[in-house]
Amino acid sequence: MIAAVKRWHAILCALLFFIPSGARAAEDLNGAAHSLARQTAAFAGPGQPVSVEYRNVSSLGAAELGQARSAFEAALKEAGLRVSDVAPVAELRLTLSENQSQYLLVEEARKGDERQVWMAAWTRAAPVAAALPGVALDRRLVWEQEEQILDVAFPAPGMLVLSPSKVTLYTRQNGAWEPRQAVPLAPGKLWPRDLRGRLRVTGASFQAFLPGMACGGAVEPSLSIDCRAGDEPWVLESGSRATMLANFAVTRNHFDGRVATGTGLQKTIAPFYSAASAGEQNRPLWLLALVDGRTQIFDAWLEPVGAIASWGSDIAGTEASCGGGSQVLATRPGDTGEPDAIQAFAIVNRAALPLTAPVEFAGPVTALWPSSATSALAVARDPLTGRYAAYVITVVCGL
Amino acid sequence: MRLMSSPWFAVCRGEACLALIALAATAAAATRPHYGGTLRVEIRQSFETPDPPTAGYGMPDLARAFAIASWEAGRRAVYAADENASGGRPFLDAVEIEMARPLRDQSIDLELGKADVVELGPSELRRQPAGRKVWASAPVRLMALVFSTRVEDARIREAMALAVDRAAIHNVLLQRQGEVSAALLPQWLSGYAFLFPTAADAARARTLVVGLPAAARAISLGVEDAAARPIAERIALNARDAGLSVSVAAQAAGADARLVEVRIGSSDPALALAGIAASMGLPEPPRAGSPEALYAAERALLEGFRVIPLFHLPDVYGVNPRVKGRPGITPLGEWRFENLWVEGGRP
Repeated sequence: MIAAVKRWHAILCALLFFIPSGARAAEDLNGAAHSLARQTAAFAGPGQPVSVEYRNVSSLGAAELGQARSAFEAALKEAGLRVSDVAPVAELRLTLSENQSQYLLVEEARKGDERQVWMAAWTRAAPVAAALPGVALDRRLVWEQEEQILDVAFPAPGMLVLSPSKVTLYTRQNGAWEPRQAVPLAPGKLWPRDLRGRLRVTGASFQAFLPGMACGGAVEPSLSIDCRAGDEPWVLESGSRATMLANFAVTRNHFDGRVATGTGLQKTIAPFYSAASAGEQNRPLWLLALVDGRTQIFDAWLEPVGAIASWGSDIAGTEASCGGGSQVLATRPGDTGEPDAIQAFAIVNRAALPLTAPVEFAGPVTALWPSSATSALAVARDPLTGRYAAYVITVVCGL
Repeated sequence: MRLMSSPWFAVCRGEACLALIALAATAAAATRPHYGGTLRVEIRQSFETPDPPTAGYGMPDLARAFAIASWEAGRRAVYAADENASGGRPFLDAVEIEMARPLRDQSIDLELGKADVVELGPSELRRQPAGRKVWASAPVRLMALVFSTRVEDARIREAMALAVDRAAIHNVLLQRQGEVSAALLPQWLSGYAFLFPTAADAARARTLVVGLPAAARAISLGVEDAAARPIAERIALNARDAGLSVSVAAQAAGADARLVEVRIGSSDPALALAGIAASMGLPEPPRAGSPEALYAAERALLEGFRVIPLFHLPDVYGVNPRVKGRPGITPLGEWRFENLWVEGGRP
């Protein structure tokens, strides 16, 4: 077969190199079909019957192949050709194909001994994430971007987004968030690989906690930030009252275990990723997601009183009025490439009792911080697009 | 041991203690990466060089985030985490590579938990237990026959192209790993590889060489990689059916044809084609700006049957369940171990 096409190949090559490189770029499948039909008409001659065979070697489905067929045959008709298996002047084979960046319609045309190959390509659109089923926790998308989102907070005039390279203030204009001002961050040394950061807002001022760096700033009259290198403890909150100061391991992705609670208690415990407070029969408890994979339950004196083995490494506490008055939102254990989920639990008899169905995410939850007394801020990475999306997850009572 | 050293061991009593130990033993992996630990890797290739390789794929990719800590040529290499690596220090403390390990031994080591990442050949892949974690690249290794300039008669080369029963080799010897192909670029990269016909046609091959003297129909086929020898033997068998006399030799130098493997070096199809052409001693193709132009360039390279593409094969690795993180290889098969971590590695 290779030998058989040699004769026309030289002509084809010569012809192809005279065609501008963008000549075969189509906007979409319909455009591609029209482009090929025009060339087919010139090849077969006006009014001639042609037979067409279709095949699909792409990841697109039968619907798209059907669409290609309809578009191509309509375009052939428009170009003055007839589709017929009876004594066709030219036999065509149309293949729906793809490479990394494009979909292709590849046409092989045969007229007697003469053969031709044409291709028309169009850009692959980014895959659309599947819709998620309804959930007991309310999930609201607040921001999405290419760069990793470390945290999002809501000072009086707008929304602050903390990214590895900057802090950005957004304000609402015509119902949409528009960037108002951005201030770059200049770390004294390289950020750790699994970078984490936290925003804490009080009125129009805010704090940003990053590994080895603490920043203070304000959003009024304009966005300003003052950062300094240091080992200052991060302020971890849970619900509306509980507060813990925790030292972050500067070159790692976890807290080193040195903590102080709002009651003034200071202690060194095992390194942990995240913390949440929960009440059990009016007794306050702290839950810490330890680096070894367990979530340890501590009493008010930070003595261990239990453990939970089935959570991921990020937890946050809320205090919605239902579900015992305090809830712990927890990610699911798993690998970073896997889908993740956030679920709300109550702590009953030092065990985790699920309160809601899990809110599913297509990719890993890369940050989960308390956002208000009844909500948390979650950031998830889309494994297909690599983009980061920030959500406010609110425990809604009465569902 | 971890429980013994933990600060809350003191409160662990009787049944409660057993419960806590059980919890510790079954603790699930957390989503967030752990720091620490050593990744144990085994490879078939042996680098008998005074220094670690710095070009190519695999071990040289580690230089992105690790620094060589120990080098025993041909045997073992240890790379340590670079604290100042771009993108942050790797989660792993070290990567330990054992070289020159036969595929079968690698597979056994994975089974016994002595290795974390091993290469899987077609036979080994078939023997893996259900649920085995496997990383596979896109088909990035082109296996092809390359004729020396000594074989001047294009009919011999074309007959060989028609004689090879790629489908049978793919089904049996390659255990359906990768793709049958008569194109230089794989389908995932070009989108048009299917245009190059792969079906064998022994009858037509015979008609091409039937009138040629026996000496002209005798071809030596060099294959240096012992693992590829069964494929070469099978090609020789196919060739005999077409009236060619092919003898398989372990030395590629001086052979009439060689069975070679060339790696796709770029995800840009035009650059990849240029790379393949350079590796196989083919003329540099013109820079193509559209799929059609690329197709024309590729056809021109294959004209004359100096090179006969046979298969596009992926890199396949078997992975210990304790290894976590995104796949440690890219679609092109490059190692990206800096984003991995291992359970049991603790800060």
